[in-house]
Amino acid sequence: MKKCILVLFLSIAMILGAGSAMATPDDTFVVANYGTVGTLDPAVCYDNEGYDRLWSLYETLIFFKGGETEQFVPLLATEVPTMKNGGISADGKTYTFTIRKGVKFHNGEEMTPEDVVYSIKRSMVVDQDGGPSWMLLEALTGEGGTRGDDGIIPGIFEKIDKSVEAKGDKVIFHLPNPYPPLMGILVNPLSSVVSKKWATANGCWDGDMANAAKFNNPEPGKEPLQGVENGTGPYKKKLWETSKQFIFERFDGYWGGKAKIQTAIVKYVPEWSTRKLMLKNKDADRVHVDQQYVPEVQAMKGVKIYEVPTLSITAALFCQKLETSGNPNIGSGKLDGEGIPPDFFADINVRKAFLHAFDRNTYKKDVFNDLAIMPSSPNIEGLPYHKDAKVYEYDLKKSAEYMKKAFGGQVWEKGFKMIITHNTGNDQRQAAAYMLAENIMSVNPKFQIDVRNVEWKDYWVVLRQYVYPIFIIGWFADYADPHNFMYTFMHSKGVYGRYMGVSNAEVDKLAVEGIQKANPDDRRKIYHRLQDLWYELALGVPVAQPIGIHAFQENVQGYVPNAMMTTHSHFVNFSK
Amino acid sequence: MLAFITRRFLFMFVVVFGVSVLIFSILMTFSPERRAAVYVRSPQQAQNLPQLVESLGLNDPFYIQYFRWVKELTHFNLGYSVVAARPVWDAFKSFLPVTLELNLYSVPIMIIVGIWLGTISGIYHDTYIDHITRIFAIIFWSLPTFLFALILLMIFYGYFEVFSPGIISDAYSVYIHDNPDKYTQYTHLLTIDGILNGRFDIAWDAAKHLFLPVVTQVMVIIALLLRVMRSSMIEETSKDYIMTARAKGADKKTINFKHARKNALIPVVTVAGWLAAFSMSGSIEVEVIFTRQGLGWWLANAAIQLDIPVIMAMCMFMGIIIVTANLAVDILYAYIDPRIRLS
Repeated sequence: MKKCILVLFLSIAMILGAGSAMATPDDTFVVANYGTVGTLDPAVCYDNEGYDRLWSLYETLIFFKGGETEQFVPLLATEVPTMKNGGISADGKTYTFTIRKGVKFHNGEEMTPEDVVYSIKRSMVVDQDGGPSWMLLEALTGEGGTRGDDGIIPGIFEKIDKSVEAKGDKVIFHLPNPYPPLMGILVNPLSSVVSKKWATANGCWDGDMANAAKFNNPEPGKEPLQGVENGTGPYKKKLWETSKQFIFERFDGYWGGKAKIQTAIVKYVPEWSTRKLMLKNKDADRVHVDQQYVPEVQAMKGVKIYEVPTLSITAALFCQKLETSGNPNIGSGKLDGEGIPPDFFADINVRKAFLHAFDRNTYKKDVFNDLAIMPSSPNIEGLPYHKDAKVYEYDLKKSAEYMKKAFGGQVWEKGFKMIITHNTGNDQRQAAAYMLAENIMSVNPKFQIDVRNVEWKDYWVVLRQYVYPIFIIGWFADYADPHNFMYTFMHSKGVYGRYMGVSNAEVDKLAVEGIQKANPDDRRKIYHRLQDLWYELALGVPVAQPIGIHAFQENVQGYVPNAMMTTHSHFVNFSK
Repeated sequence: MLAFITRRFLFMFVVVFGVSVLIFSILMTFSPERRAAVYVRSPQQAQNLPQLVESLGLNDPFYIQYFRWVKELTHFNLGYSVVAARPVWDAFKSFLPVTLELNLYSVPIMIIVGIWLGTISGIYHDTYIDHITRIFAIIFWSLPTFLFALILLMIFYGYFEVFSPGIISDAYSVYIHDNPDKYTQYTHLLTIDGILNGRFDIAWDAAKHLFLPVVTQVMVIIALLLRVMRSSMIEETSKDYIMTARAKGADKKTINFKHARKNALIPVVTVAGWLAAFSMSGSIEVEVIFTRQGLGWWLANAAIQLDIPVIMAMCMFMGIIIVTANLAVDILYAYIDPRIRLS
């Protein structure tokens, strides 16, 4: 009987299994990834996985020049404006783009300069909470959003209306102040061009500023273009089964000519073993590889691996004004050997002691398999005006010296207890937390540091309550400009700066001036000084700038790595 | 019987209401910021958490939030699933067939084979057949589902290059989408629809994608049923009435399969009913490893990310399924043992 069952099982297996796996056809490209997409509305989408879809469906006026993040090529514009060609005014406040003719939307309608103007304005009018609109709003209106504490900011829609206009075949942007990263923002899918007629017919803002408030801040998921698209890009959406797959179909009316890949499929495959087998069996042309699995992929035959430094940084940041009430991370809340006071990290000696306790070289080698750049400040490699600033080398003797100076010697004498937190599941951040904790504890047995993990969503919620003495967190570039990093990390109102409790008049002044100057030499001086200040003020430990790993089948041609497009498969350039 | 069934169905509404209040109350213990965080996909977005809390009304009192949800429900609006990026009802309709199709094949197999193996093991207990089935049961009951699924995937897909993960091949997926006039999705179950449309190649392809997930699910759950059935069978065959039947020289087959097995089935029916009901909430490991996004995958992700409309909807769905399964089990009791009266 058992024999019969075994034979039956194997027979079914062999019959069913025959011919199951086969390589993808030459005109089809399959990606296996684990990111999901929330929306296809360019005015709302604000994550890399969403950008990946939108960059193939929609187009912007300009795009990255190959692997460059600061140089651009024209796309829906005919030329990249510069001061030299007169496209950018001498004062840096006016940008003029000539719009390409003969470009068709996926529904066959021809694109006009009015569509460009409408799209840019709509992307500002929508301004969903937590959305990307702030980028265009900051550059074109000088405001970081359309709403303040008392609701919609008076006059904001008028400012939006005046910020961009069409004149003949030209579209002109009027900036209140010079804003050097504007070109980087115009590459972001936020600046994608949609058809005004089609968008209005689908329930979007009608282009009349008198009605703008009604279309402002739509509930997440209820934005009219959430699941539909009509771009000018080389691919159309054929099928989107959320959390399963996204299928692109080549747009044969594309102005730039037919792409070689006719069908592109992005599959949601959360399990690494399955993705790996898909790559091995050639069922996927590209798979997402997390750093810990790189050696497994390197051992595979017929696979090409690209190593691309990302424009992102992970840092361990010190909070200088901690909340004491109900804070489980600071023990007694006093410098009595059983906790730390709320201003523990306000003492620069404590900060320097921790910085000297981080072993950069070992961390890079052991944790990242050398697949990381060790940054000296948030102005990481690949950003303009980056320089190799001074760093605090690993030296536990110096760490001890600074601890002895901290709080007039009380820290060394009494010791302390605290907790370092990192988000659950991030092994690299966990390793950084343990390295800091163990090295500091080795300096003086009275120092006691525990490491705990917190679920990512909770981590963010709790971070806002100033309860983490050290928080380990990352940042990915919105655009390739130091403003996006240095303001975020160093300004007293920056996204992270505020939760670090930093307040330095020189830093705040420079972080604001950096974005207001058009002259590259002036900006270089400002950002170089800020990088020096990061070191002098010892604000945090720049932990790592990860290198992204992209694994392709060997026969895939045309992939150009770009640090701003970490997950993007630019199918239009691919062939097999 | 009819009155019993009607009463149980009416009871279902009470259960669903109770479940909804209970789950909603538990979810309210999370801070408004924590509940709004499901909309945050990047550090950049997290800056606007307070505004999100405000605009979503998450600071409102419990009863207002609950009645707002009930009001939407009366308009047949179950809310929006951030995890699935579409309305809950649409997402449910899309994920349900994936789970349903897996259970359509795995549940009958696991019940039939589990009972059969348990019976054999019980009858021949302490013989080599019993030892083999017990070892089988111990191995598969102790083996984590994800590990067994991975082993199967490695052997069949990794080594033999058969049985691709997923639900159906890309070409068929595109064909079904592109040809709604030629291919009608009567049931949204690919194997059934393939046959109904005369597209046996599609049904065949779907069956191939189902094979390993079904085997995984069956092997793991069969082990439990086998053990319950075996114990029950051993207990039943040692009872006086069986001894009497044997002493009277009744046929061995009749004693074992007609008398003993029928009575031994009562505890097994309860377990099988629950297993079948819980299988409907999806097997997370099977769905993740074989890339079949069904209800299990959806619910697990929704729970992790606090996607409240999904959690509420799935809890109500599970309430309905459990009540229905209990009803089915009660009816089966009456069938197996006529002494049990449903009235």
